[in-house]
Parts: sequence; structure tokens; C-alpha cells
Amino acid sequence: MVTRMRFARCGFLLGVAILAVIICDQQSYAVKKEEQLGERVKQLVEWGNKRAVIRMNGDKYRLYAKSAPRNYSLVIMLTAMQPQRQCSVCKAVGEEFQIMANSWRYSQAYSNRLFFASVDYDEAADVFKSLKINSAPSIIHFPAKGKSKKGDTYDIQRLGFQAENLAKWVAERTDVHIRIFRPPNYSGTIALGILLAMVAGFLYFRRNNLEFLYNKTMWGVGALSIVFAMTSGQMWNHIRGPPYAHRNPQNGQVSYIHGSSQGQFVAETHIVILLNAAVTCGIILLNKNSITDGDVRKRRVVTVIGLALVVFFFSLLLSIFRAKYRGYPYSFLIK
Amino acid sequence: MNMASAGQQGQYDATAGDENSTEDPTVIFPGGRAKNSDAMYAITRIRGQQMSDARQQAGKPKPPIHIGAVKGLLAVVILFLACLAAFSSRLFAVIRFESIIHEFDPWFNYRSTHYLVTHGFYNFLNWFDERAWSPLGRIVGGTVYPGLMVTSGAIYNILHSLNIPIHIRDVCVFLAPLFSGLTALAAYGLTTELWDASAGLLAACFIAIVPGYISRSVAGSYDNEGIAIFALLFTYYLWIKAVKTGSIAWASATALLYFYMVSAWGGYVFIINLIPLHVCVLLLMGRFSNRVYVAFCTFYILGTLMSMQIPFVGFQPVRTSEHMAAAGTFVLLQAFAFLRYIQDFLTKQEFRSLFFFGVLGTAGITFMGVVFLTYAGYVAPWSGRFYSLYDTGYAKIHIPIIASVSEHQPTTWVSFFFDLHILVCTFPAGLWFVIKDINDERVFIALYALSAVYFAGVMVRLMLTLTPVVCILAAIAISKTLNEYLVDELPKKSLTGEEEEEEEEEDADRKNRKYYDKAGKVRRIKTDKGKDDEGMGGNLKGFVVVAIIMTLMLFSVHCTWVTSNAYSSPSIVLASHNQDGSRVILDDFREAYYWLRKNTDDHARVMSWWDYGYQIAGMGNKTTLVDNNTWNNSHIALVGKAMSSNETAAYKIMRDLSVDYVLVIFGGVIGYSGDDINKFLWMVRIAEGEHPRDIKESNYFTPNGEFRVDKAGSPTLHNCLMYKMCYYRFGELQLDFRSPAGFDRTRGVEIGKKDISFEHLEEAYTTEHWLVRVYKVKPLSNRVPSQNLLKRKAGVKKYVSKKTSKKRRGSIKNKPAVKRGKRTRGGGKVNKRI
Repeated sequence: MVTRMRFARCGFLLGVAILAVIICDQQSYAVKKEEQLGERVKQLVEWGNKRAVIRMNGDKYRLYAKSAPRNYSLVIMLTAMQPQRQCSVCKAVGEEFQIMANSWRYSQAYSNRLFFASVDYDEAADVFKSLKINSAPSIIHFPAKGKSKKGDTYDIQRLGFQAENLAKWVAERTDVHIRIFRPPNYSGTIALGILLAMVAGFLYFRRNNLEFLYNKTMWGVGALSIVFAMTSGQMWNHIRGPPYAHRNPQNGQVSYIHGSSQGQFVAETHIVILLNAAVTCGIILLNKNSITDGDVRKRRVVTVIGLALVVFFFSLLLSIFRAKYRGYPYSFLIK
Repeated sequence: MNMASAGQQGQYDATAGDENSTEDPTVIFPGGRAKNSDAMYAITRIRGQQMSDARQQAGKPKPPIHIGAVKGLLAVVILFLACLAAFSSRLFAVIRFESIIHEFDPWFNYRSTHYLVTHGFYNFLNWFDERAWSPLGRIVGGTVYPGLMVTSGAIYNILHSLNIPIHIRDVCVFLAPLFSGLTALAAYGLTTELWDASAGLLAACFIAIVPGYISRSVAGSYDNEGIAIFALLFTYYLWIKAVKTGSIAWASATALLYFYMVSAWGGYVFIINLIPLHVCVLLLMGRFSNRVYVAFCTFYILGTLMSMQIPFVGFQPVRTSEHMAAAGTFVLLQAFAFLRYIQDFLTKQEFRSLFFFGVLGTAGITFMGVVFLTYAGYVAPWSGRFYSLYDTGYAKIHIPIIASVSEHQPTTWVSFFFDLHILVCTFPAGLWFVIKDINDERVFIALYALSAVYFAGVMVRLMLTLTPVVCILAAIAISKTLNEYLVDELPKKSLTGEEEEEEEEEDADRKNRKYYDKAGKVRRIKTDKGKDDEGMGGNLKGFVVVAIIMTLMLFSVHCTWVTSNAYSSPSIVLASHNQDGSRVILDDFREAYYWLRKNTDDHARVMSWWDYGYQIAGMGNKTTLVDNNTWNNSHIALVGKAMSSNETAAYKIMRDLSVDYVLVIFGGVIGYSGDDINKFLWMVRIAEGEHPRDIKESNYFTPNGEFRVDKAGSPTLHNCLMYKMCYYRFGELQLDFRSPAGFDRTRGVEIGKKDISFEHLEEAYTTEHWLVRVYKVKPLSNRVPSQNLLKRKAGVKKYVSKKTSKKRRGSIKNKPAVKRGKRTRGGGKVNKRI
């Protein structure tokens, strides 16, 4: 009886022990998981403190972006920065991405909810393979819970890669609002400062001979080049960034003139600068100037040249305009 | 005769003063050559005058025609013709259509002018317009530049006091052509001051017909720019006068005209920055003189005080960065003048160092002061509209509403050529001549040209400020060239005497060359002995003249064509041509607005995109939510959100704003490209800017990122209010036999959703060509829609237990819910249970 009791007790104790072991195991599993997560976040924070955009290779990517327990969002830029890849877009996107990451890193609201990382093709081609991505750069968001959805791939084509747009997209996906802080671009200021200093130094060294400042030809040429640059639409080029010329993919013909009056190519504006300048030169030549002081024969030649310049290049300009502006009825000499 | 010669005398006095100005002792200008030639020029001029005087006194007993009188008469006739051409070439729209106000903004100006003449000036200044920006309203008196309304109100009152009963609408329609005549006069005056009278006449003729200016001043386009260009040029003319003479009277007149400009157009900022720039550059060039000091100080003080009288401007002249350049220059000028005053008490060496550091120090301190005040918040930084001129990418990112307006886009070379034609290649030559032969006032025109050409490059709209200076400089270039080649033909000219009435600019300057430009003539006397006899060759000269005249003729033909084809459409009445050439007038806009006016309640609120706000208020006399005065971005975004959400969400917004009618412009039937579907993405974008959670631009695109209205288009687009309102019952309409039903001519596709029905809206009115569609917003319905009720009835079943009575078992009420995995006490108990 006693023994039975004992056995029973033993059995009971055994059961307790086994159960305890099982529970302990489960508990330790959970703890381990938590620990693992904490470890990871700690690791990420540590890396993040070193550089705002964490560089990842294939293993790190699988560990931090793919495997399950995550309480942080990860925005990864897949890129190809190696110089032999010649990916100029990657560089531009990378800079903007860096600006966004820095803005987040040094903002007041910085927390371990969101990390930025980049994966380079040459370091981890397998990542590209596993994501079935065959173009760089692309930016993907890995949410804290669940899998990446359709909207988690950033559409660079459509939204553009300004850091502001990126931040907007990140806010949409993760509810983390990043205020973009662009490091003030001192390069322009510094260049201007250097230029001014150089001019000032130059003037100082030449202070005994400042005659050149009163050279009206120099000023005139400067003013005219500003005028030509503007009237030929260089500002439009600067803002819109059109291609230099258009190559027809079918027959390989290169057209320098844009077909419609709403657009223009860079080459076209250069042609227009030349035409405008030629007409202007013609008019200046038509007037008395220092080249022909007194010499009538020379004067005559210059007049003929001036007249030819004005008439020919103006009619050329008019014909280009006519080709672009449909339905324009007038032309002069050249059809 | 006496009078004429007196006038002559006066003119020469003025020019003599001018020459004195270059010989001012303070001028340190080593460009010896030019100065000498200036002086020589002056001497020959004076000699010429003496000669002619001598001739008059001693020589001929009775000259048949006094040359000065003919000159004066010709100038008057030519100027009169230029004004007439300026006026009449702007009447295409009135002749083709009728005397109506064009486009969008003019409708607001017209409406407020109407208010001004019916309620009086003070009521106008205090006018609170509750029909705009409902439910906010708009304080009109404090948010407009009243110059335009006051001008036409004054003309109206004067005419009525003379018993000429004219309708205020006609005053408004013809105001811009009238002022472009005056602009021609101002251009004449300015160019005469800068160069000579013949160039002035040419400039007047150019500006009378140049398309770049006509684009903003055709009859019916009743807008601020129409009178502002006149004010701008006249201010500059008076400023040049003030700089030349150094008289307080001219400077005060400049300030007065500046006041008029401030009252008329926000572009006055251009003046208040250009004039200080002129003064600064004069300082840098060592051309400072007491004349400049007097002119600028008088102008700045009076001008600032007067400009602050405009309610809309208020304290801006002392509180914003746009005006700080003028204030800084004012301070700098005082320091400069003070240091020059001390000059008398110091040795040369002392003075030089003091002067250098004094000026530099003042400039530095002023600059730092302005920067500090800006940081401290006393001075507002540059506003977005102006900042976007400097940083060209700014508006695109930060102010989509500015970027969305087509006239804020940068300018292609085609636009330059279209608006200026030959002048675009000749005016650089004029600039060259001006720089080569510089003096105080020519510095001004060079600066004007350079700054204006930059602004015109950044924004199409600012082509308007460039146009006058282009006309002036091109006139200088062409006048100088013709001077060169026409003078020889002087004796023959009177024999041939061919005159063409049409191209008056050509004749104008031919005549000028003949009689008007005394200096040219004198030069001829000096030179033609030496050179012309040996032969430039009459033929060659003839060729040059013919070529120039031909290009000028081409210019006038171009101007007429452009004015007639591009700039004379009222845009509220559309015209199209049939295949047989007959004209069809599409008057849908006015039809719809008139319907609104007559058939809806007086206080009905009409929601539409902001482009049509002024027209609805002006023609329909109804309350609008948003209009072309885009001062409240969030309100516009709310309307954009309503347009781009689905009907239920939109209905909620419309109830909140208590909208009664919704108006959309739909061009799919006639192929009108400026309709709301084409503008729709801007609505989405602006709405997204304010409500990023509800509206996402990407939802309106196909997966490939295209915006399509056909079957491939995104479902969000197909269900949004704008799409439904535009294409409601459009699927039933077959336009012709070649295309399927519901074929949208503007987009060139068959629409994707044809069975559109409304729950909260109903179609109220659609115009003849479907261009304007008006929908009525239904009031809230009393009952929940019945189909839902039926559904619920079907769904609710009475629960019948299928268990038999034997199988029934008792169940415990309030059975405690056990939460799994939660240990309430120690681990042992859980253990036991397991």
C-alpha cells in the first residue's frame, strides 16, 4: 500500500517533473525568441548608429528581413553601386535614400520601429534572385507583420526619387512620419565664395590697371550671352531636362528638332542660339564699327556679310519655327 | 513757327542737360573713347543747332516749310496711327463674337467693377463677398488691387457726367485696347529719353502690335496686366526723367505713377527692385551724382508711403523681403552721400580709406541687418511665388497649385519667337549698342533687359514684362541701322514719295530718317562728303533697306496672324469650322450659366473646380465654393477630394459644405481638351496633398502607371464622382457611325463604364454639346433605401432548435469563460489539471 502510494507519488512527481521540463522548454523557447528579437534589434540599432543606411549581404538579409519575429519595419534599397555597373540612377536614388535615412536617424522621433538598409547586387546577387528583381535600383518595404504586399515596392518611375516623396511613401506604409532635412548644400555657397575671393584677389593684384573693367565689349558679350541663353529656352531645358536629341529606334535616324511646339531638345536650343546670334551679329555688322574705320571697300564687304547673315539666318529660323508650329503660313526665302 | 522753334529750343536744352550729366565732375569713367565721342556728339549737335539757327536768322528769307513743324506733325500723326493700330488690332474678338468679357479672371474684375459703380467707392473697399468661398466668404476690398476697377469706374463716371450713356461692360471690354494705345505713347517717351525720337516712334509702333503684349490686352480681357504695362513703362519713363534732371518734381511724378502701378498689379515688385538695382549699379560704376540721390530718395520715400495706402499692400513695403532691396539701397545711399559730404574736410588719402570702408561697412551692416530681421521674424521671407523665380524647382515640390497653372511653366524658344518674332533676334543688337554707348539711363534699360529676359525664361507669363524692353531695344537697333542706310537717299526720297498706309512702322521711320532726327542729319553733313560719295553704292544701301523693310512687313503680318488666330478667342464662346468653311458657335458655357441664373434658387451653392468659380459668380450670379483667387488651399483640396472620392464619400462632403449643385465641364462630345477629366489629376494631386489618407494618386492609375478612362482604367477612377458626372448616360450616346457608343472624342477612346447610376445626385441640366453638365444634390432621404430592408428580412430567421426534447440538456447560464494559457494561481494547479 505504502509502496503503491509511493509509486503513485513517484509517478506524480515524475509527471510534474516532465511537465515542468516541457513548460520550461516552452518558456525558454519563447524567451529565446524574445531574446533573439531583442538581440537583433540591438544589433540593428548598433549598426544604425554607425551608419543610417545599414549595408546588408545575403545572410544578414535573410536573418533580419526575412525570418519571422520582427517588430520593426525595414526599408531596403536594392541597388548596384559598383562603378563597373555604371548605374547613374542608383547613385542619385542612393543619395536621396541616404538623406531620408539621415533625417530619420537624427530626428526627434527616432526609434527602433524603422530601419533603412541597402543591398548591393555585387554583394548579394541571391537576394535579387529570391525577390525576382532584375533591375536596380528598387526600394522595398518589409513590414513588421506579415509579408510584403503590392504597395510595398516603391514605384520610382512614377513617384520620382526625391527624398520627400520617399518619406511620404514610407509614412504611408509604416505610419512613421519623417521630416526630410536636407543638409544645406554648401557646395554652391563655397563655390560662390571662392569665385568672389578669386575675383577680389584678381582685382586687388590688378589694382593699378583696372582698365579691363571698363571694357564694354566684355560686358556686352556677357549680357548678350545671358540673353541668348534665355531666349533659346535654356531655362526650359534646365527645368524639364529633355534629351539632347531623339533617335528613332526603328530606322536609327536622329532628329534634332522636336516635332511639336510644346517641346524642344537640347540640340535644338543650341541651334537656335546660333541662329539668333548670327542674326544679331549681322545687324551689328550692318552698323558702323571700328573694323572698317575709313576703309570703304572693307565697309562694303562687311555690309554684304551682315546683310547675308541677317537674311539667311532669319529665314532659316523662320522655317524651323514653321516646321514646328503647325499651320503657320508665312515663310521668307527658305520654305 | 515761333512755337515750333521754341519747342526745338526746349528739346535741345534737355539734351544739353543730358550731356552735362555725362560730364559731371564726379564721374570717374576711364572708358575714354566713348566719353569723348559723347562729347563730340554733343558738340556737333550744338554746332548743328547753331548752324541751323544761323541759317534761320541770316540765311533764307522764307523757308517754304519749317522743318521742325513738319517733324512735329509727323511725329503726332505717326503716334496717332500707332495708337489707332494698337486699339484696332485688339478688336478681333469683338468683331467676330461680341463685346463680352473673356476667360476667367476678367469676370471677377468685371463683377467687382460693377459693384464699384453701383455701390460706390467706399462700399467697394468694404465689400465682403459672401458669394465666394462659401461658407468662408471673401473680403474683396482688402484682397484686390483696386486700380483696374477704379480706372474703369472713373472712365464710366466721366462719360456719364458728359451724358454719354455707356454700359460698364463696354468700358471694361475696351479698357485694355485703350491703355495699349497709351502704352505706345509711354514707349515713345521712354525710348526718346534713352536714344532718340526716331527710335521712339519705331518702339511705339512695335509695342502697338507685338503679340507678346496683345496676348494680355485684347478687347475683353479685362485684367490687371492690361493697364499695368502702361503704368510700368510710364513709371520708367518718369524715373529716367528724374535721373536725368535730378528734379524733385519728376521724382514725385515717378512715385505717383508707381502708386498707380501698385494699385493695379502685383508686378510692381519688379519696379521696386529694378530701380534700386539701377541705383546700386550706378554707384558701382562711379556714376553717383546728386541727381541720382535726389531722384531715388524722393521716389523711395513718397513711393513707399503711397504704396502703403493700398489696403491689399498695407505694411508689406516695410515687412517683406521683396521690398528690402529698396530699403537697403536707401540706407546705402545716405551713407554714400554723407561720406561724399565729409570729403571736403579730409585729405585725399584719409578720405580714400574712409570712403572705402565706410561704404563697404554700411553695405555689410545693412545686409546683415536685413538677414537678422528676417531670422527674427520682423521681415517676412520671400514668398513662394517670388522664391520660385529664383529656385526654379521650388514650386513644383511645395506649391502644386502654382505649378498646375499653365502660364507658370518655363518658356520654350518657340514661345519667344511666337510672341516676338524678328524682335527676338534684333533686340540683343540693341542691347549691344546700348552697352557700347552707355550712360546713366542706358544702364537702366540694360538692367531691365537682363532681368526681364531671365524672368521670361522661367515663366511664360512674365513674357509680358519682357515685351516692352524688347520693343525698345529692337527699335534702337533697327533705327540705328536704318539711320545708316537711309540718310543718303534723303534728296531722292521726296521724289519717290511712295507711302504705304498699312505698314506704318516702316513709313514712320523712313519719314523719321528724313526729317526728324536732327542728329542723324548733322552727322550726314559731316560724313557724306568723306564717305558716301566714294560709294557705299546706292544699290547696296537699297538692298539693306529693302531687306529690313521686308522683315518688318513680315513682322506686322505675323503679328496680325498671331493676334487673329491665337489670342483673340474669348474662351467662353468657342468657335469651330465645318468642312464647308462655315462657322459654328458653341455657346454652352453661357447657356449653362444662364440656366443657373434663372432656374436655381438665389442662394444656391454651386460646387465646381476652381477654374470656373469666377464665371459662375459673374454670369450665373450664384454662390461658389472655390474660385480663381486660390487663397485657401485646404478648401480647394476639399473640393478636389469630393470630386475624386466615390459618391457616398463625396455626398458626405457635399452635405457638410451644403452644396446644392455640382457643375462639371465635359469636352468628350466635341473634343474640347480643356475639360475636367484632363484636369482631374491635378484635383487628385491637390486633394492628396491635404488628405493623404483618403486620396491616393496611385489609385487612379492603371498598374502600368497610365491614366485611362477606358476599360483598362482603374476601378477607383471609374467610381469617383468626377468620372460618373462626366460620363453619366454618355454610354448611350453614339456620336457617329464610325465610332461605338460612348466614344470620348477628347481622349479618343471608348469609355470603360457605361452603366452609371446615381444615388445622391440627379442630372439637372446638360447643355447642347454636353460641354457643361449640372447636377443637383438630393436632400437626405427620409428612409433607409428599401433594398437593404428586404435583404435584412430575408436574412433574419427564427431560430428553431432541431434537437428533440430528450436530447436537450441543461446549460449553465453565465458560464465562466476560461482563458487559455493564463495561469491564475501557481503552476501546480495547472499541472494538476493537465
